[in-house]
Amino acid sequence: MLGFTNADYSAILLSVKVATVATLLSLPFAFAVAYLMTYRRFRGRIALDVAVNLPLTLPPVVIGYLLLMLLGQQGLVGKLLLQPLGIKLIFTWKAAVIATSVVGFPLMVRSIRTAMEAIDERLVQVSRLLGAAMLDRIITVILPLSIRGIIAGSVLMFARGLGEFGATVIVAGNIPGVTQTIPLAIYEYASSPKGDVMALSLCAISICISVVVLVFHEYLGRRIVRRD
Amino acid sequence: MELRVAVEKNFGRFLLNADLSVRGKRIGIFGPSGGGKSTLVGLIAGLSRPDRGIITLDGETLFDSSSGINVRTEDRRMGMVFQRPSLFPHLNVKGNLLYGYKRCAPENRKIVFDDVVEVLNIGRLLDSGVKKLSGGEKQRVAIGRAVLGNPRLLLLDEPLSALDDSLKFQIVPFLKNACEAFGIPYLFISHSLLEIRIMTDQVLNVVNGRIVGQTTAEALVRSRMGDSMAGYMNLLQLSAPRQVDALYSYAWGGQQLFTASGDDRPEGLFELSSTDIMLFKSHPEAISARNLLKCRVVGTFQAGNRVGVDLECNGDGRLVAEVVRQAADELGIRAGAEVYAAIKSTAFRKLG
Amino acid sequence: MKNIICSLFLVLAVLVSCVVPAHAGEVNISTAASMRDAVNELSDAFAKKTPGVTFQKNFGASGAVAKQIENGAPADLYISANVKWMDYLKEKKLVVAASISIIAYNEVVFVGKPGLKVTSLKDVVDLEKIAIGSPKSVPAGQYAMEALQKAGIDKQLENKLVMARDVRECLLYADRGEVNGAFVYRTDAVEMAKNVKILFAVPQELYSRVTYPAALTIAGSKKADAAALLKFFQSSEAKVILEKHSFVTK
Repeated sequence: MLGFTNADYSAILLSVKVATVATLLSLPFAFAVAYLMTYRRFRGRIALDVAVNLPLTLPPVVIGYLLLMLLGQQGLVGKLLLQPLGIKLIFTWKAAVIATSVVGFPLMVRSIRTAMEAIDERLVQVSRLLGAAMLDRIITVILPLSIRGIIAGSVLMFARGLGEFGATVIVAGNIPGVTQTIPLAIYEYASSPKGDVMALSLCAISICISVVVLVFHEYLGRRIVRRD
Repeated sequence: MELRVAVEKNFGRFLLNADLSVRGKRIGIFGPSGGGKSTLVGLIAGLSRPDRGIITLDGETLFDSSSGINVRTEDRRMGMVFQRPSLFPHLNVKGNLLYGYKRCAPENRKIVFDDVVEVLNIGRLLDSGVKKLSGGEKQRVAIGRAVLGNPRLLLLDEPLSALDDSLKFQIVPFLKNACEAFGIPYLFISHSLLEIRIMTDQVLNVVNGRIVGQTTAEALVRSRMGDSMAGYMNLLQLSAPRQVDALYSYAWGGQQLFTASGDDRPEGLFELSSTDIMLFKSHPEAISARNLLKCRVVGTFQAGNRVGVDLECNGDGRLVAEVVRQAADELGIRAGAEVYAAIKSTAFRKLG
Repeated sequence: MKNIICSLFLVLAVLVSCVVPAHAGEVNISTAASMRDAVNELSDAFAKKTPGVTFQKNFGASGAVAKQIENGAPADLYISANVKWMDYLKEKKLVVAASISIIAYNEVVFVGKPGLKVTSLKDVVDLEKIAIGSPKSVPAGQYAMEALQKAGIDKQLENKLVMARDVRECLLYADRGEVNGAFVYRTDAVEMAKNVKILFAVPQELYSRVTYPAALTIAGSKKADAAALLKFFQSSEAKVILEKHSFVTK
């Protein structure tokens, strides 16, 4: 179909895989951070807010480079933790997942926070009065009432992940079949004379996937409204 | 139920400094808006934390700043009903009702689902989502939810204030019955003297963050009679209406009363202002008022420059009338005297 | 408020018009990345003999650079590490065919950490990750891939090859230790490698000779300085400089 090579099919599957894993992996952390920012007062709150939002303002290449310095052979985490345990992250699909997660994290946190902040404080008070301890009310009140934000955040992160290039290329490299996602494949074709047709084909696939994701998001949104 | 509170909390422009000790099942908290009633109750519930002080309920210390005790809200076993129902939008009525019940330890589950549903008459709403309910239905579900949590103490923060009058007095019997039937003590906050009278026996008067008085509901109402143009509101439970000409004839305390407003329901709550009761020393031969009652004065009390007159009418009917001091002197109104009370049919106002 | 908006527009207009216009005596050179140091030294030597001439240099993978020229990037002189990309531009009539001449040759070698036990292509198969210039646009990568295919080990190396933008990046990966080794040009290995050394040279029979054709673009043919520069690249003085950088000139 469309003259795709094995490497190209790999790229498509890899893109979807990396974006999905990054989204699922980030969900619990993003939820926890959103909860802390919404419901807790603590010293260093502002620092956390800045740290979480930093990837939004940094060029992805900078983020990739910083991750490389941290997780690479000479990095702090790399030398002290990964090498002794024999874990290699740089130039693996796991690094692509990490890069995508870091870049998309602020988007997810923001979405969830917006939804959480809209929850009537009175409802949380009521749940406490009725005997719900912290974890209980998180699961039975806060989570269900912020589901819209969670879904929106996931979709945003997934879409951002599909398009992630800058951080990924530095920290995961361009390895066909292993870390070459759609954007990397397109970049390679675009640098190559006679590669335009292939680049455009991959662009078309990218657009199709995005459309599917957006339609799914709309559908989910409608279903939740109907249930209410 | 025994509640002791001695707390202080500084809000910047407002200082709450409350010291109280009450015993009973139907306690009221009365006062003007913004005076600190809701704040006080919030501290008792554990929703906010006093700067200093001590709170004990039935001997158990819930808060003590000197020893660092602060029992979490979820462990205090108190129910609360707010002005707005605040039902969980993502659960249906049944889910809302059972939320607190599920979290109540099995040994404490004395109040059960079916009984509450019956008392509050919400059986047909059980599978419904909460958005479609009417205001009154929502508040009944909120009461049911709080009660099913099997609380040791129920805190009612202006639960009727958001409802219109007719709805208010429809909910009142549900609330009273629920608390009476299940034996739950409660703190009832309101800025409405009428609600306080119906719902409570003892009242704490909270003004500007301080407890300025602790009296019975009746004494509170009587003391305010002099300040209010509306006088003392007699609350009468009338029954067995019949339509006679253009009026309704109700039975009350062994006699008939004629009212201008009414309906077909077998029972009705009416209010009658003390200012609408005219007193005669002897039987007026002809009078336009349709109600003329022969009464014996049980006692009098001072309220400002007025005199409140406790009347016993023909059996068990009790009324309070008010006259100015000169009138009391002129008519020789004192305990034991016989007077005639005249009341126009239009003076009765139906509540619910 | 209005004043602020007006001043902002003024600043914007000034910035936009601050594009430095090309002036006479400037030559745009677009070259294969592997020639960077050599071309720098060559152009310095030329500048000493021809005062008043300045250069705008653009280095990259030959394929990527050819694509840029095709898309209209300014270039007077193009040097490719591969005859293929030169032919591509020749077909598109973007270079002056008559001006094409070979100015140097190179070799493909394999570099890695000094202690690594790799002495031939067979040993490379056992490594975990190997950096190679993307064959789609980097001639060094194409040559290396050609050799791997001729040696019959390309399938075994699937999923182990990390695609780099150019040879410099290959070396970087190898230097940092993110890959076990890299296929690079001898010229780069000799000049730039810090922590890695040449482990073996890829047998020449496995790949076509690395040839560097140079040519004037259509735009460049109109500039006397550009033509003079190309002539200088073919001179014996230039050959000395190239050999100093480990290029082969015969």
